[in-house]
Amino acid sequence: MGWGGGFGGGGGMFGGSASEASGRAGLPFGGIPTELMAEATKLLASEPEHPKSDVHFTQLPSQKERERLTLPNLIKVYPKWVVAGSLLVIITSLTLQAGPFLTEYAIKNGMEPGHRDLRVIAACAIIYLVLALVSVYFQRLQVEVTGKLSSRVMHDLRIRVFTHFQRLSLDFFTEEKAGVLMSRMTSDVENLQQLVQDGISQFALQGLTMVVITAILFKTNVELAAWTVLLIVPLLFVFTVWFHHASEKGYLLSRDRIALVLADLSESLYGIRVVTANNRQRRNIRNHRHVVGAYRDANVYTGRVNAIYGPSTLMIGILGQALLLGIGGRMVLNHQLNVAYLIAFFLYLNRFFAPIQLLVQQYNSLQQGRSSIIRLRELLETPPSVDEVPNATVLPAIEGRITFENVSFGYTAETTVLHDVNLVIEPGESVAFVGPTGAGKSTMAKLANRFYDPTAGRVLVDGIDVRTVTLRSLRSQLGVVPQEPFLFAGSIRTNLRFGRLDATDEDIETAVDVVGLRDLVDRLPDGLDTPVHERGQTLSAGERQQLALARAFLARPRVLILDEATSSLDLRSETVIERALDRLLEGRSAILIAHRLTTAQRADRIVVIDEGGIIEMGTPQELLRLGGAYATMYEAWLASGGRDATRAGT
Amino acid sequence: MSSSLSDRGARVRESDSNPLGGVTSKYPGPRAQISRDQRLPWWRRVLPVIASHRATFIFAIGLSFVSLIFQVLVPNMLSADIDNTLARHLNSLHGDVIALIIVGLLAGVTGMISRQYVYATAYNVEADLRSLIYEHLTWLSFSFYDRVQSGQLISRANSDIRSVQMYSTFAPLIVVQCFIGVIAFGFMLVINWKLALLAMVVMPILYVVGIKMRKVMFPISWITQARLAGVATVVDENVNGVRVVKSFAQEEAEINRLADAAERVAWAYIKDANIRAVWGPWVQNLPQLGLALVLFFGGWMVLQRDLKIGQILAFNAYLLMLQAPFMMLGQLVMMGQRAKASAERIFEILDENPDIVDRPGAFDLVDAKGAIDFSHVDFTYGNGVEILTDFNARVEPGETVALVGRTGSGKSTVARLMTRFYDVSGGAVSIDGHDLRDLTLHSLRENVGVVLDEPFLFSVSIRENIAYGRPDATLEEVEAAARAANADDFIIRLPEGYDTVVGERGYTLSGGQRQRIAIARTLLLNPPILILDDATSAIDVHVESGIYEALKGLLTQRTTIVIAHRISTIALATRVLLLDEGHVVASGTHEDLLANVPLYSEILAQATGAESS
Repeated sequence: MGWGGGFGGGGGMFGGSASEASGRAGLPFGGIPTELMAEATKLLASEPEHPKSDVHFTQLPSQKERERLTLPNLIKVYPKWVVAGSLLVIITSLTLQAGPFLTEYAIKNGMEPGHRDLRVIAACAIIYLVLALVSVYFQRLQVEVTGKLSSRVMHDLRIRVFTHFQRLSLDFFTEEKAGVLMSRMTSDVENLQQLVQDGISQFALQGLTMVVITAILFKTNVELAAWTVLLIVPLLFVFTVWFHHASEKGYLLSRDRIALVLADLSESLYGIRVVTANNRQRRNIRNHRHVVGAYRDANVYTGRVNAIYGPSTLMIGILGQALLLGIGGRMVLNHQLNVAYLIAFFLYLNRFFAPIQLLVQQYNSLQQGRSSIIRLRELLETPPSVDEVPNATVLPAIEGRITFENVSFGYTAETTVLHDVNLVIEPGESVAFVGPTGAGKSTMAKLANRFYDPTAGRVLVDGIDVRTVTLRSLRSQLGVVPQEPFLFAGSIRTNLRFGRLDATDEDIETAVDVVGLRDLVDRLPDGLDTPVHERGQTLSAGERQQLALARAFLARPRVLILDEATSSLDLRSETVIERALDRLLEGRSAILIAHRLTTAQRADRIVVIDEGGIIEMGTPQELLRLGGAYATMYEAWLASGGRDATRAGT
Repeated sequence: MSSSLSDRGARVRESDSNPLGGVTSKYPGPRAQISRDQRLPWWRRVLPVIASHRATFIFAIGLSFVSLIFQVLVPNMLSADIDNTLARHLNSLHGDVIALIIVGLLAGVTGMISRQYVYATAYNVEADLRSLIYEHLTWLSFSFYDRVQSGQLISRANSDIRSVQMYSTFAPLIVVQCFIGVIAFGFMLVINWKLALLAMVVMPILYVVGIKMRKVMFPISWITQARLAGVATVVDENVNGVRVVKSFAQEEAEINRLADAAERVAWAYIKDANIRAVWGPWVQNLPQLGLALVLFFGGWMVLQRDLKIGQILAFNAYLLMLQAPFMMLGQLVMMGQRAKASAERIFEILDENPDIVDRPGAFDLVDAKGAIDFSHVDFTYGNGVEILTDFNARVEPGETVALVGRTGSGKSTVARLMTRFYDVSGGAVSIDGHDLRDLTLHSLRENVGVVLDEPFLFSVSIRENIAYGRPDATLEEVEAAARAANADDFIIRLPEGYDTVVGERGYTLSGGQRQRIAIARTLLLNPPILILDDATSAIDVHVESGIYEALKGLLTQRTTIVIAHRISTIALATRVLLLDEGHVVASGTHEDLLANVPLYSEILAQATGAESS
């Protein structure tokens, strides 16, 4: 197989190609090998500027998006291409069948004794030639049409599945492993691509061919044809039913196992530092071999099912021919049938079995695709646990009063984190939640912006139950800065802009100054355009938190929730941030969750949360005077060297 | 080759693994690596992996061939039966039918067995490639991870392996099918060599078209695969950054980002189809041209009585046999180019060399006393940002030293150099007088325990998370470590206690709880040298003091480096090193520095105290 060679390996890399997704962040990996550059550039030059996608997102799926995910439903969106594709498939099929027909005709009417005529032969040959050329043309059209159809269908499917991801609630992402979601969006969709592109048309083509051939068989000899159908079809049917069940089981297993493989891989990549620090490489490799091995085993099982099905249909074909030879031969010997007819019949019989073999192959890929459809359908039919009510209203610009009314909550049915909590945060007020880890401080914040819904009671914003408004209008007005900020691959600038896509460069520069990132930006060779990504070490933990704060600063939400957002900052940066917060919080309501009581001391009010409820509440001064839990905590904080940030003059 | 494998992998022991999802398999792991020679064509580079399955592979191909011969016999037998037996009205059809049945059964059974082995080989090669990538990634250095997105890696370990696997399943079957062509051609030559050659007259054209197709398919295949990775990257980021996306209500923007990436994939696929559409049909239909020629000249020869009608019928049947391989040839070329592009992308990962490896003659660090010495250390990350310059520091055995400095002053970098996550760009780090680079990585990391500033938890039980570095630890040991990290009390209140499985990235636990588990994880290792890299930032004060109470008992026996901002944490240290601009600017007790070094009090923000007074 000499065609495998030719190029000299993949040593050359081309980083930073702006047009390639992988090069977007300027990461020197995954470019185009140098030897491909010329060809690839030429290809890419023919690529039109794609219009910016303009998908509209609503939390509640539209009627169309609610439609059950099936292959026919997927392709019926493009009726023109489906019809065109089908017509072209029929034409191609007919031209392909014409060959043997012409040959037979030429033999019968041009070569057999009494019918010798070179003109007939020549005419047949020429028609054959012309039909082959016509076939080239129609096949070309057909590949183009089905190619277009399949890539549009897959494009729709990708967006549909991804949109559903975005609808799902946080608990789904907590429970479902990242690798599973990844495999649905990648290998399951890619699985279908092949099917829609070649599978369906081939399936139709071969099916059609079989119908045509069967008709011809019956035309040639009804009795023999009936025998053929009688002998072969039931057996094939039985095997096919068996295959249908066995392969579905296998392919579903294989889908689940590949998801595990990806989950294991993805977790190992994200936890690579812990893996390395703990010398876990060898053990993880062993574990991964089990996971990969289990996937292999599922594949080997489907392989075995295939290995039985394919050759068994072939065998049925040969056995059928043997029996037909017996039956036909008897008929010939009994002078019920002319040998010539028997010859012709067997000629067609061959053409009857060829498409069966191809159908078997296509059926296999159909089954493979079906398993992906089933898994994707399950995903699409998973409802978000936090959802919008139909006719949810748009939350108008809020003043920022947040009310917790008899709120209880637990992440699981057995455990309760919050129990009957009542709290009102006034517009413009900043409230600090303090208390031991795991007491439910973050949970309160997560209820406010509806990452979760309370199991009892309700949360109101400006007197409106958060469950009655659209998630977008709610969350865009409540900005959360989490403890562990996530960096998207891209530049620092694009990461900052995440909160407000239309932020100007000046806005960004201001934000950088305000949170104290200026030193860093000046130090980096490419400044704000330095590429960063999640696992990258360009930024320290503290700098990432500063970046997250700058994001929130740009977004200017009406209510700000800082969830341990300054935990990794050194104290100096923290004071810078505090000054920034003073600016940011002006006129805004805020929930501050911090273990550093310095931050709490600056709040208008402190809420001490422990044992699932509020145990103390008041201004910092009140609580200190009260001498309760907070006063004890603050004493411990000061004793541990914490900075006294009691506001002077109050 | 084999020595490096046994060094890396070790055999699977059933008792000694806890794979994700609890699945187990007898899969022994890869038996060979890919060829390291980058000049070889891609299939030659994969060849060692395939060759490691040569017994099954050769058996599979051999048996497929046998099966094919049986299949080819069938039309021959049929025509012989019809021509000889029936045409002459001889009466011995029973034997013929039985012979056919036997041949059919043989063809079927050999086909079943051979295909099973073909698939098994392909899936084993796939599993080998997956394992090889995983294993390679496991050993790669952090400089690699700093510049490569995980979406890229996952896509390569998935879509690209898949396309290589599809080809490796498909290609052998096609190659075997091509044998049919060879056999059929042989029969054709026997019947009439002139006609046979005539039928093959299109072959050179077909070859040229194949070459051309190969050339145009490769770049578009590469582009398609690269763009699939682009989609994977967006998905990966959205899964891991879901909270940020939802917080900022940026779902629509992210969907459009994905839609853009998907649009680029769609274009690539359409382009791919259009290119295939130009060449594929020629590959399929050129053989028809040969058939038309055979029809004409064959017919002419029949008229000239150079050929019998039965012969042209048989000839035609063999030509039909040639058709199927030709139809798949186009697909083979297409998949081959896709596989080639994918293989190159997989090689790109496998060709990355870890820059931090055991040097030849590296020895184990045994029972470290814990004297640490940084001498003239310079360090620069891959992006060119200089972090440490002429960094000098010495930590005595048993000492507890706090590193203090501004955000981004290089404190965490010091920790990363200690565990050799990175190597110094200049100078040297040593433990007990041994340059770290002379020690084996495994023994170094056994002796240096680090609690990282990102408390990453795996989606296994809390017990397994704590025992991550020492999977054989007893429950008592795990509990003791958890108690020392003040994690015990919240763990036992969880629904399933130590057996509670924490979600992906440990989302169901609070930041402070995760940090405590991360501390317990390192404490369980009981390393002679302990580094706490801002490990208690999300833990509230009284819990933290509890942890340090427990640590105090432990710290006396070990060297400890604490990276912290809180005075409570710093107070734990016997000495403070003040870092600024990438080197140590002051060293002394907390009180000394507070009294004498303005920068120190400024960094600890004690200045505000002065402000208010």
